[in-house]
Amino acid sequence: MKALIARLPQRFWALAGSVSIRTKILGIVLGLVLLLGLGVTVQVRYTLTRAMDAQLQEQSVSVARDVAARATDLILTNDLYALHQLLRETQANNESVRYAFVLAPDGQILAHTFGAGFPAGLRDANAVGPAEHHRTTMVNTDEGPVWDTAVPIFDGRAGIARVGLSETVVRQTVDAVTGQLLITTVAVSVVGITAAACLTWLLTRPILQLAEVAQAVGRGDLSRRVPRWADDEIGDLASSFNAMTDALATAAEARAERDQLRARYVSGVIAAQEDERKRIARELHDSASQSLTSLLVGLKAMSTTCDAPDVRQHAEELRGVAAQTLDDVHRLALQLRPSVLDDLGLPAALERYVAECRRRYRLHIDLAMRGLEAERLPAQVETALYRIVQESLTNVARHAAARTASVLVERRNGRVRAIIEDDGRGFDPAGAGQERLGLYGIRERAELLGGTLTIESAPGQGTSLFIEVPIAGDRGPHA
Amino acid sequence: MRRIALLLLVVLLTACSATTTDGPAALSESVVRLSDLQPISAPASSAVAPLRVAVAAVISPKGTVESYQPLLDFLSARLDRPIELVQRRTYAEVNDLIESGEVDLAFVCTSAYVDGHDKFGMELLAAPQVNGATVYFSLLIVPADSPAQVMADLRGKVFAFTDPMSNTGRNYPTYLVQQLGQTPETFFARTFFTYSHDDAIRAVADGLADGAAVDSLVYDFAVAREPALGQKTRIIHRSEPFGIPPVVVGSQVRPQLKAELQDALLSMAETAAGRRSLAAAGLERFVLIDDSAYDSARALLQAVSATP
Repeated sequence: MKALIARLPQRFWALAGSVSIRTKILGIVLGLVLLLGLGVTVQVRYTLTRAMDAQLQEQSVSVARDVAARATDLILTNDLYALHQLLRETQANNESVRYAFVLAPDGQILAHTFGAGFPAGLRDANAVGPAEHHRTTMVNTDEGPVWDTAVPIFDGRAGIARVGLSETVVRQTVDAVTGQLLITTVAVSVVGITAAACLTWLLTRPILQLAEVAQAVGRGDLSRRVPRWADDEIGDLASSFNAMTDALATAAEARAERDQLRARYVSGVIAAQEDERKRIARELHDSASQSLTSLLVGLKAMSTTCDAPDVRQHAEELRGVAAQTLDDVHRLALQLRPSVLDDLGLPAALERYVAECRRRYRLHIDLAMRGLEAERLPAQVETALYRIVQESLTNVARHAAARTASVLVERRNGRVRAIIEDDGRGFDPAGAGQERLGLYGIRERAELLGGTLTIESAPGQGTSLFIEVPIAGDRGPHA
Repeated sequence: MRRIALLLLVVLLTACSATTTDGPAALSESVVRLSDLQPISAPASSAVAPLRVAVAAVISPKGTVESYQPLLDFLSARLDRPIELVQRRTYAEVNDLIESGEVDLAFVCTSAYVDGHDKFGMELLAAPQVNGATVYFSLLIVPADSPAQVMADLRGKVFAFTDPMSNTGRNYPTYLVQQLGQTPETFFARTFFTYSHDDAIRAVADGLADGAAVDSLVYDFAVAREPALGQKTRIIHRSEPFGIPPVVVGSQVRPQLKAELQDALLSMAETAAGRRSLAAAGLERFVLIDDSAYDSARALLQAVSATP
């Protein structure tokens, strides 16, 4: 019991929390109406019973005294028939009178309303002295309690009048009133439930709407606002919510502006970088390569025309250095900006780059491309994908200690997808080091084009990068 | 929570119902079965047969008990025998009881005696003496504020008779009306019987009747006890004297009992207790009386009966 009481608050809150506001309000209204109805019913029943019992007692006294007064002459003149008639009329005219009888002074029954016989024990159930006004007592009968009043007739000289008033009518009246009250309670309950349902609808409609709009705002739709239904607490809540959504919308707008600015800036930087690389590569190709080629040609001529063997050998050595330098310049120019990307497109550039990687890093690299043959991708997408693959394979070569890697580039449904996988040592994507691995740059390039980067990796499990970029003009936003 | 609320409700209801059923203060232990009717046992007959005394309804039954009980108690003590007072609504019923011997002694009205004497030999035993005489009168009374002065003024009014057999209350006023060449049925608007003289006085005093003829002894006695009745009524006519209502026995009463009763009555005034009992009935003493004292009443009865 103690534990039960200790758990009561908890159980109350659990119960109160598990039902909707609709149920709570309905419960409150129904509970109040029932409590009030039952309380009033019990009180009225109690008061009415007491009042009617008292009234019944008074009535029994007045009827008995009336019978006694009217019976006097009839008894003195021995008019037993009239006496009997008097008792019968008394019973007929009073619904509550269950019986009436008259006793002679010697206790003999002169007249009664029972007909063929007389109930045993009734005569002695009540008695009254000659000097008394009356005496009322409750007699327990098989038909329920009966108020029996005895009144001496002519100071007892002509006998005693006895009248019994049954409580049946009182009980019936009380029961009828109780029934009426209960019916009223039920009717009021029905009205109350209806009213409560309307009230609940009034109360919960703004709340439900608020919840719906909050969900929409949560999904990012900052244009939704809640109508303010009433000037109450819920109205205040709606206003606060709207103010909050306004602030969120303003903040989101500012952030979007900032992001756009940054994106423009970053893409400007990247474009400038690409341009610069292109220029340097061309410069290297046009100027340095030409100079080095001239140098090679000059040194060749020198070695053939000069007869001095040491000079010839020295020239041959210098020609070897110049050739190596020319090779380095070519490679540098290719790394900076492969002209094949601009001239022949992404597939040719990737093939060339992958071949270069195979050769240089001694890695087994699979390259697969689908859907890229028909039409060239936009230049910025081609550049981004090329740089992403370039960065990824550099990572694989530098950090992964992998034996094989694969590159898949696929164009489908207005999007282009690139997957770069290796069987290297892998890393924890949640951990640090992404910036070092150049993953930040990959993500930046993908997002500038409205795309996404997904990394799947774990230590010892290899690494997979999934890059998906919408193709401008096909579908999706511009970068 | 719900269990607790339910518990509270149950406790509340129980408390209320408990207080309602505890109401009656005196509750009989045993249950009386009202539908189980038993035959009523006949009363055991007493060992000593009581002397049965009838008092004709000159005055109302209650008044009769109050007036005559001391007298009967005295006689009972004197005769050493219980006395049962027998009353009937009408004079004729009392006469029937006397004729059939169901009562031993009777106080009857003058005309009832005349009728009984002639029909079945009712015998005079004694007569009360009041104001030193053994006569009484019929008084014609009207409400105190009534303008009526004689019987003729009561034409078309409501008239209260006492008993159909009464000398002063029926025969005499009928005689007066007949003198006016009418019958009560045509002369009065309406008539009714009160079956006792004091009730007739009350009927007039309360304005229920516009007139009534009553026994002068009863009127004097009633007015003496209740002066308001005298103030509310007015006597407009007094008859010639008639023989006072006597004490009689039936012809079947044994001579010895008759002598004992007569002796007891006649000697009542000799003791203080007897005189007190007489006074309660408004009497002075009992005296012997002769049948001739009732000739005037007999003549009146014949006159009234002769007229159709």
